[in-house]
Amino acid sequence: MTERASLEPGAVSPEGAGSPLLSVENLSVSYAATRAVRDVSFQLHDGEFVGLLGESGSGKTTLGNALLRLLPPPGRISEGRVMWWGSARTGEAREGPEPHRAGRDLTTIGQEDLRRLRWREMSTVFQSSMNSLNPVLTIETQFRDVIEEHTAMRGAPARQRIGQLLEMVMLDPSYMRFYPHELSGGMKQRVALALALALRPRFVLLDEPTTGLDVIVQRSILDNVRALQREQGFAVLLISHDLGTVMEVSDRVMVMYAGKIVEDQRASTMIAEPMHPYTRGLLGAYADPRAREVEIAYIPGRPPDLSRPGQRGCLFAPRCQEAIDVCRAEEPVLSAMGQGEAACHVAEAAYAAGDGRRDQSARAGEVFTAPAGRTDRGPRVERRQEVLAVAGVHKRYRSRRGLKVTEVDAVQDVSFVLRAGTVTALVGQSGSGKTTLARMVTGVERPDTGSVTFGELRVDRLRGRGLKAYRRHVQLVFQDPFAALNPAHTIGYTLSRPLINHQDVTGAALRPAIEELLERVGLSPASTYIEKYPHQLSGGQQQRVVVARALAPDPEIIVADEPISMLDVSIRAEILELLDTLVRERGIAMLYITHDLLSARVLADEVLVLHNGKLVESGATLEVIRGARDAYTRQLLDAIPNPFATRRG
Amino acid sequence: MSTPIGQVAKPIDSEPAPGDVAAAVRRSRLPSWVVILWANRKSRIGLIMLGLFIFVAVFAPLLATHDPKVTDFAQSLPPGGAHPLGTTASGQDILSQLVYGARTSIVVGLVAGTVVTFIALLVGLTAGYLQGWVDEVLSFLINLALVVPVLPLMITIAAYSPVRGLFLIIFVISITGWAWGARVKRAQILTLRSRDYITAARFAGEGRLRIIFAEIMPNMMSLVVAGFLGAAAGAIGAEAGLEFLGLGDPTTVSWGTMLYWANNSGAMLTGQWIWLGAPGLAIALLLSSLTLINFGVDALSNPHLRER
Amino acid sequence: MRYFVSRVMFFVLTLWAAVTLNFIIPRLQPGDPAQTMVQRLAGQSEAIDPAAIRAVQIMLGLPTGSIFEQYVDYLQAVVRGDFGISYTYFPYTVTHMIAEALPWTIVLVGVTHVLGFVIGTLLGAAAAWKRNGKFDTVVSLGSTFIGTLPFFWIALILIYVLAFTLRWFPEAGGYSGEIDPAWSWAFFGDAIYHGILPALSLLITAPIGWIMGMRNNMVHTLGEDYTRLALAKGLRQRRVALTYSARVAILPNVTGFALGLGTILGGTVMVEMIFGYPGMGKLMFDAISNRDYPLMQTIFLFTTIGVLLANLCADILYGVLDPRVRREAQT
Ligand SMILES: Nc1ncnc2c1ncn2[C@@H]1O[C@H](COP(=O)(O)OP(=O)(O)O)[C@@H](O)[C@H]1O
Ligand code: SF4
Ligand SMILES: [Mg+2]
Repeated sequence: MTERASLEPGAVSPEGAGSPLLSVENLSVSYAATRAVRDVSFQLHDGEFVGLLGESGSGKTTLGNALLRLLPPPGRISEGRVMWWGSARTGEAREGPEPHRAGRDLTTIGQEDLRRLRWREMSTVFQSSMNSLNPVLTIETQFRDVIEEHTAMRGAPARQRIGQLLEMVMLDPSYMRFYPHELSGGMKQRVALALALALRPRFVLLDEPTTGLDVIVQRSILDNVRALQREQGFAVLLISHDLGTVMEVSDRVMVMYAGKIVEDQRASTMIAEPMHPYTRGLLGAYADPRAREVEIAYIPGRPPDLSRPGQRGCLFAPRCQEAIDVCRAEEPVLSAMGQGEAACHVAEAAYAAGDGRRDQSARAGEVFTAPAGRTDRGPRVERRQEVLAVAGVHKRYRSRRGLKVTEVDAVQDVSFVLRAGTVTALVGQSGSGKTTLARMVTGVERPDTGSVTFGELRVDRLRGRGLKAYRRHVQLVFQDPFAALNPAHTIGYTLSRPLINHQDVTGAALRPAIEELLERVGLSPASTYIEKYPHQLSGGQQQRVVVARALAPDPEIIVADEPISMLDVSIRAEILELLDTLVRERGIAMLYITHDLLSARVLADEVLVLHNGKLVESGATLEVIRGARDAYTRQLLDAIPNPFATRRG
Repeated sequence: MSTPIGQVAKPIDSEPAPGDVAAAVRRSRLPSWVVILWANRKSRIGLIMLGLFIFVAVFAPLLATHDPKVTDFAQSLPPGGAHPLGTTASGQDILSQLVYGARTSIVVGLVAGTVVTFIALLVGLTAGYLQGWVDEVLSFLINLALVVPVLPLMITIAAYSPVRGLFLIIFVISITGWAWGARVKRAQILTLRSRDYITAARFAGEGRLRIIFAEIMPNMMSLVVAGFLGAAAGAIGAEAGLEFLGLGDPTTVSWGTMLYWANNSGAMLTGQWIWLGAPGLAIALLLSSLTLINFGVDALSNPHLRER
Repeated sequence: MRYFVSRVMFFVLTLWAAVTLNFIIPRLQPGDPAQTMVQRLAGQSEAIDPAAIRAVQIMLGLPTGSIFEQYVDYLQAVVRGDFGISYTYFPYTVTHMIAEALPWTIVLVGVTHVLGFVIGTLLGAAAAWKRNGKFDTVVSLGSTFIGTLPFFWIALILIYVLAFTLRWFPEAGGYSGEIDPAWSWAFFGDAIYHGILPALSLLITAPIGWIMGMRNNMVHTLGEDYTRLALAKGLRQRRVALTYSARVAILPNVTGFALGLGTILGGTVMVEMIFGYPGMGKLMFDAISNRDYPLMQTIFLFTTIGVLLANLCADILYGVLDPRVRREAQT
């Protein structure tokens, strides 16, 4: 299929044979006052698959855009070079060492030269490809324009080539006649990928290519990418915040924090021996959900604000458990140690002293152990008090389109109970009916048949005033904490409303009640938060406020809809731990909705797996996850990127 | 007046960094909206210009050298001497008319702008929040009102009226000019009401009115203010147009009637270009000031600036 | 398909609403409308022209009969195209007068509106492409000010400067008295010569709305991922600007086309009146001055229908240009 060498992962060492394809030298990028990328240097070789890992805002996308010279204003490369060593295509003899590769600096090269390099030599798939296809052109046109721009191919052969490209990403060629809005998210992503490979480039930049898609779709697209990469031998820089994904598919991984690359080494060695404390913390946030005991770690605190001038020392120091005095004075530089490179004073000293393997068992950050594996669980789940029962509910949605009426069975014959002090996880991909069930529990939606009973109360028969009164007993925690807090109100105001409405707290009693709520969710001292607006808090703090608001009416039930999926990996465990504590201490029944089996494993006592509106599996968490019987559950489990499982075999 | 009443024609731009403004808001004892608008250079110019017009309107009796209606002076005098801008063909002082004309325009802009904004808000809020058949009906009305050509409709309504005058003009502008604002506000409500924080407010036990006025409205502030400025500008322009067509009361003193008389009594023949030019420029400057203020309005709903 | 059906339905509904509005407005006055109107006419001119009374009566339907019967009569008259007799231009029918005036306005408004749209859209696109440059600043700020100038004032100033002072163009009229209106080149040339100033009065502000609309939309689409991807694909700048940014940015302008027509019609009324240009606007103005209610009502109806038709065309064009409404998602 290809003239280039097929490369097994690991066939090319990071140092590479011969000269690199792309080298970044002391690159800095800023948006006005924000120094988004700070003095970054690395190399990329032909056929290498490199992951760029970091939490959101760490500068990954900015770095990627700078490489392709696609920075949106006011973004500006303030320093450094991006050297492209792949010569313009002359013949196809590219194997073996190429003695005179002339390097070109992509940051200064002329527009026309750059244009000719683009797509033939380097292509990209943007973060959220939902928007990267032109909505008014057919898929075919969007392939055709780039093919006709850069090659002599026209007419029928071009169409045939487009068909092949679509087949390559497992799409039927007939989709080329479609417009983007007629495709699903996953299909658009595949189209974007096929488009990136249309001219057989030597380098492909993939920026979060699967974020926001269903786990199973994500999985299949990544497998596809990896297979194509092995087959065609292009080099990849894969940007992602998802450590599992990056570790599993990349040969080499670079970790980015606050605009700097803090660690760079082979994925296989990084798993076993992460050098930078941040990397160690990130790895701690992952675990194999099938393990007998699962504990996950988090890194308290938040990344620094890069627009603040005059920050000294290691920018990770405020969150670092290993920090020493020199860390606060001097910023470490990326230097060779162990089996790769890292930027850390402590690690450097340790490797210099001989054995760099610090105590790997002591994980960086705080640790949260999954309750399902613990023994201090109180009474067995079956003996806890039943709070809400959903029995044989069924919901069918009708949507009318002109004369056509389509019917969807969103939920079919589902039964379960929520118990006090117990977390019940509802797992399934989007569209499986999770939200519909949650809406039934909260009384917003009525089942067509079946019942929802809360004590003596038939929730499915409530209206108006009764429904309003019921809300006091059931509260919500949302997916996106920022969207769940009114930007126009202070935290104090937001928390005062449920207290006033549901608890009749007024006047002088209000402030202490608000402070108590804030303290309970770990925001202390409370007085510093009361006057703040949501945008002044970090994502984790916002989610804590959302939880505090849900606690205000002292509810019996909390429905938490993907409460950690929008948060950074390094702080997810922290929110899970908070939820766990509240459930146990206050005897709340929690319905935890998620697509992520690992978090379900960590938090839940019981798991319900939903597929196409039907309950395909249910039971105690450990039993469902370790002994999954249903095919769909196993598919979900297999889709979880699990670096430990694959690497350790 | 090249856009429907209430629609604001301005290029989008991104002026000052929110950080600096937020700091200024915290420091100042003035209401935050003043500080936020003042922070934008274009808004600041607009505010100053508008301030001047309002000053002139309020103190017209002190600033005007003559009674604008008195026809005692020599006719069609050129600029100079006691009459810096000359006199009209019927012997009125042009400068005094110009000064008093500011009153009419400001009053029309204020009153009609307020009424139009109110109607637009009422219709938009009701349609957007209630949804269902109410929304269907109101949306149809909005779309209908948008496609019906406004000036011919105004003319037709005004022509039937037994009384002529400012009140009629304001009335006509108000009942014909709300559609654009209503449409924009409905769209905004539709997006705002589906936000998670609205659901959260419902679970916090808030009632419908509180959700609309305490949860949704604060996030629509810039839209409402922009709508008001646009409506006021549209009303001022429409008033001048209707007066010019003779559909107002020709004895009121306004920039529109000045142009009406200038056109009908041959200002061109006598070469009185000031009589012809000044009122038009005054209208354009007043409208420009509103447009300029509008540049800074987007920042009003920016939560980053709402710190205290 | 559903989209097109719904647009046609909207057209039919609005058409009905406009016709009904036209029926309601004269009847909103207190007292018996025919009586009131005739009295007001009488107050204005000494001797009441019997033709005027008849005209008003025809317009309102016969004063006898319930309001519902009047409405049915009225609808029938509208369908027949019978709008009575104009008493200003007795013995001509209203329809005749409108038929005389309509072509003038259609040409004037059509040309200025389309030109304004094209010029404005192009300028807006250019300003957006070079955003924050000198050209953009001049266009943006210039538009902000020029957009506030009233149509009629521009017309007055143009007459004063170009016709009255410089004598480059005629001051008024649609054609010279010496030339007979006929299908001849001489007549066309003369009509165009007379049309330039009225058209210019409208054209100075006509593009402003489109400039702003296009510029803002395109600044938006330029920042969209698909435009950046087009650049990353190494397409030529022209192609990126036209088929990626502008092609999507123009869509909202297309929907605005019909709304803008309503606005420019308003300007036309004044401009035609100022120039004595023999179109619908001047006819309307004459009708108001003479309180020729049948004529006035019918002109309002015709302008509204004209705008509604333009709106329908714009909607259909929009459907053709935007696959998202033409072909709904199949998932
Ligand atoms: N267009 C922009 N204007 C100003 N600041 C930006 C812009 N894009 C990103 N930033 C800032 O640059 C930093 C890095 O962002 P980004 O590269 O998007 O990170 P990542 O891709 O890792 O999430 C962040 O602090 C972000 O706020
Ligand atoms: S340099 Fe110091 S603070 Fe920074 S990561 Fe290493 S140990 Fe932690
Ligand atoms: Mg990113």
